[in-house]
Amino acid sequence: MLAFLADWMMWGYLAYAAMYLLNAYWYTMYVNWYGTLTLPVWGWPLVVIATFELTVLGHAFGQTPGQALFGLRLLDQNLRPPALSARSRYLTRWHIEPILKLFRRNSKRHLDSSHAEMRLVDEVKDLMPAAKPRKWYKTHRGIMVVALLVATFWVGWLVTEIDLPAFFSDAPRAGYMWKALFTPSFEHLLTPEPVIARENPSMAPIQTTILGGIIESVFMALLATVVGALIAFPLSFLGARNIMGFSPIGWSIYGFMRAFFNIFRSIESILWAIIFGIWVGFGPFAGSLALMLHTIAALGKLFSEQVESVDPGPLEAIAATGARRWQVVVYGVIPQITPSYLAFTLYRWDINVRMSTVISLMGGGGIGRFLFFYKNSVGFIENNWNQVGAVVWTIVAVVWTLDYISGRVRERIT
Amino acid sequence: MKERYYAGFMSKQPAWMRSLPMLRRRLFAYVVDLIAIAYLTTVISFCVNAIAYDFKDFVLLPWWILLVLSVEAAALWESFGVSPGMKLLGIRLVDVSRQSRGSAIIRRTVRFLLWHISALPLIGFLFASEDGRRALHERVSHMRMADADELDRDLRPWYRRGWFLSILALAIATLLASALYTEVDFYAFFTGASRTGKWWAALLTPDWSIFVKGFRYLIVTIFTAFLATAFAVAVAAPLSFFAARNLATGVGRRLAYTIIRAVLSVVRSIEPIVWGIIFIVWVKVGAFPGILALFVHSVADLTKLYSERLESIDYGPVEAIQATGARRTHVILYGIVPQIINPYLSFTIYRWDINVRMATVIGLIGVPVIGQLLYQYTQLYRFRQVGMLMLLILATVWIMDYLSGRLRARLE
Repeated sequence: MLAFLADWMMWGYLAYAAMYLLNAYWYTMYVNWYGTLTLPVWGWPLVVIATFELTVLGHAFGQTPGQALFGLRLLDQNLRPPALSARSRYLTRWHIEPILKLFRRNSKRHLDSSHAEMRLVDEVKDLMPAAKPRKWYKTHRGIMVVALLVATFWVGWLVTEIDLPAFFSDAPRAGYMWKALFTPSFEHLLTPEPVIARENPSMAPIQTTILGGIIESVFMALLATVVGALIAFPLSFLGARNIMGFSPIGWSIYGFMRAFFNIFRSIESILWAIIFGIWVGFGPFAGSLALMLHTIAALGKLFSEQVESVDPGPLEAIAATGARRWQVVVYGVIPQITPSYLAFTLYRWDINVRMSTVISLMGGGGIGRFLFFYKNSVGFIENNWNQVGAVVWTIVAVVWTLDYISGRVRERIT
Repeated sequence: MKERYYAGFMSKQPAWMRSLPMLRRRLFAYVVDLIAIAYLTTVISFCVNAIAYDFKDFVLLPWWILLVLSVEAAALWESFGVSPGMKLLGIRLVDVSRQSRGSAIIRRTVRFLLWHISALPLIGFLFASEDGRRALHERVSHMRMADADELDRDLRPWYRRGWFLSILALAIATLLASALYTEVDFYAFFTGASRTGKWWAALLTPDWSIFVKGFRYLIVTIFTAFLATAFAVAVAAPLSFFAARNLATGVGRRLAYTIIRAVLSVVRSIEPIVWGIIFIVWVKVGAFPGILALFVHSVADLTKLYSERLESIDYGPVEAIQATGARRTHVILYGIVPQIINPYLSFTIYRWDINVRMATVIGLIGVPVIGQLLYQYTQLYRFRQVGMLMLLILATVWIMDYLSGRLRARLE
């Protein structure tokens, strides 16, 4: 059933892609630039039925990607690939079957008469006679995957309006920017930037310099990582299957924690900065709270996966001495997971430092304030791209250094 | 002490040359301590400024006072305890007098005082050989720096040793300073929660009327991520062979390795959003600069991951194929590629995951992906629409996550 759905979706996708391409090149159908499809009324049933038929054809006469994904295979009673006649009988029976089912319950006739049956490969793997595999480009699966890839690239190229000529012909136009980026002017590295200082009278002079900005970014990342890791540490046990046991309470806590991790992890921290900006006021504190929330979710997930993959031997040994559950966790689990926890935390720290340089885009504070200010002041500040260059090179220097240090530390602890 | 000879065993190294490694370690330890203390002082003075004067500045004392203070404190620390620098470089101060003459405290004090005369002007180190001609402050105080490995281990638990306490002090001071710098405001945190109530309510009642509009942007987002990943793989896979240390033999390859690694680490430390800003100026506004931004960052990241995998390949098959007299291309094709194909795919899917998430936010700078819509609605404070878009992002990331997790599980 799932396999059928997957295959059907693939054909549907191909059909959509074909229509999109037809539209893009010959204007035979109306598809607007982001792909809304307008079909005549009779068009929709036609598309649905056509893709349905194609899917069934694929199932009957070959091995579809959906079947491969879910480990299904059409086999006859000797567990060989069925003959062509058996396959065509399977196809026709597949259409009649639902109607027959209305009249006669437990009808298995289409299976009996065609001698071809869908089987789980895992169940019959050892009984299956060895068959010579065909070349991949002769199988239904191979052709389908290639077709999907080609369609995706083709449509993607059109949807995203890739313009390679512009990439090359506009290079000289962007040349002045590159030149400026490589000749950064560090005049406001230590001296306050007048416009930012005027617009934010509450800021101390150091906060209106680029150096102060990068310090702010690093401090935000530090706070977010340390506090986030400290919060994620206890939560990770609540999100681990093997610790929470299989009681209803354990199940529900586990499920809740997992949902929490997944929801807050899926949305980038830069978007969370909006909420926290409203919550505590836009500024570096909101930025570090946003980073922290994402850190808790991401680290919680990584940590709890580590907890789930601990060696159960020591745990059983400790439990056998009559220890309580928290004692098992403290003496059996924690010593096993400490190195990987530290490594993950350092990894997260790298990500947070990088993210904190741009989080001010949504009002998070940090060096991004300077980056976006200088970027937007084309025409207001004469050498604005040189200033952007200074900000970018400052970011590179600091992020690279911190990356290097944490890389060395990670090597030592793992 | 191990005896070390010139190559050829002709004659012994002169004493001053043999003492150089130890001298180097002592100097390094001192510099580390100096930096640590200067950093601690700066951070603490920031905290004092922020708390006492309500003013953010790292400068509390004139720079020369800071310098003198750090120099003195580092010397004091090295004379009376185990400093972080000594711990890092693995050296300790030991007593070398035959019978302890005078108390240890007095001798340590003597060492500290004489240190100013003999070590600070850097003359004393010239005599720090191992033939008894030790520097003045060491000779008088009968103490000397020795390798920590040769000594008995310190039996105190780790949480009572000096270096741990000093690191703890550094960590606490840094956290305090960062809390002050980023204006951590618990009052706002607890009282401001009610302000977001409307936001959460709007988020939970998304506006379905913009579903179709959001979905269109989502399609562009997914294609952006896909194309960026695909192009990045096409570039990163061949590039990784030049960025792997173990394959970089010979001067030319070594040079290529160094240059590629250096450039990529610079590229990698810049977020895709910043790259997007640059590319938007380059090519016209649209999804294309978004693809380029993600592409550039993905190439750097994937090449690093790939080449690290290449550096840890098993040499057995490679040597076996070399032994048959195969050419270099064949060695790579049949000896290396089968080993790396699955990890490469796994890394690629992992990166595709990241790219989908990044593609949603790269719209904040004007690329027409779902982030752009999100940004516009946020600026207009229309949070029900924002909720709808977040729901779409959530669903996409979840589906992609599930699919890529399934695929990766099959690859392993």
